[in-house]
Amino acid sequence: MRGLTTHNDDNDEEIARELRAIYAAPSGEIYWNDLEARIMGRIVEVDLGWWAELDRWARPALVAAAVLILAAGVAMFRARQVETQTAYEHILTPSPVPVETVIRPTLEGDREASLRDVVGSKDRSNGRP
Amino acid sequence: MTAATAVHSTFAMPSPSDGDQRKSSDERALVVSAQQGSGEAFAALVRLHQRRAYAVCRAIVLTHEDAEDAVQEGFLHAFRALDRFLPDQPFGAWLYRIMANASLDLVRRRKVRDADELSESSPAPFRDPGEADELRRRLTEALTRLTDRQRSVIVLHDVQGFTHGEIGSMLGIPEGTARSDLHHARAALRRILKDVRSDI
Repeated sequence: MRGLTTHNDDNDEEIARELRAIYAAPSGEIYWNDLEARIMGRIVEVDLGWWAELDRWARPALVAAAVLILAAGVAMFRARQVETQTAYEHILTPSPVPVETVIRPTLEGDREASLRDVVGSKDRSNGRP
Repeated sequence: MTAATAVHSTFAMPSPSDGDQRKSSDERALVVSAQQGSGEAFAALVRLHQRRAYAVCRAIVLTHEDAEDAVQEGFLHAFRALDRFLPDQPFGAWLYRIMANASLDLVRRRKVRDADELSESSPAPFRDPGEADELRRRLTEALTRLTDRQRSVIVLHDVQGFTHGEIGSMLGIPEGTARSDLHHARAALRRILKDVRSDI
């Protein structure tokens, strides 16, 4: 240990030696082979478990998702086609009612009343009953 | 050279020799192969690193059994995260960080679950009479009185031989904090040693 006295170095070395004894890893290949087998066992278990579960659900889920996407695509395509067709027809077909003759329904009554009033006053000025 | 020391050299040495470079490229090939789904390659990586991984975990948790659990959890995490690992990086550093995190998680879970039993779950004391055994017993007891981080730092440094930088990287603390923790842990253990000397 740098920067400490020799006495501390000795003590630290003794402590380190004891710590190494306390924390000594198991020796022997059998132990490590066994640990490796346990680790790989857990990985295979989790891996297979995950994939097996996923595999069980994945195929029907993928088919359902594909069908849904296809149906949504067809529906969108058709809706768009109809929309385009309508817009196209709307542009090409002349409107049956001229724009200027279109009267707002709320004003229609007022206009008829005014017309009747004018016609009536004209008839009256011509001496008709 | 054992697998464990070989792994340590690739982890710790900044300028590897030809042999280390070959081992490093072999390891990279194993990592790439494992990333492509080879179980054999991953098993080879486990074989190569399990001793060192155990040492990292053992330094952080309190018992051998917890260290085994943490090693298994750590390798499981590593396997799941393998796709995200860049093969150009040192695999050991990445793996030991995962091991340290798995160990810290386990320590936290243990604390929450059996806070009362924590002191009882310290390593088994050595009951033989004599100074060495008394020292070991006291040290074992003293280790449980250090903070988790101080204990981890002193074991990782003095027992497992990691540098301050590596320890900082593993535990997610600055290198200076690792140094300071080591200093305080040593001072605490030195006091214990002095007490044992005066008692005997």
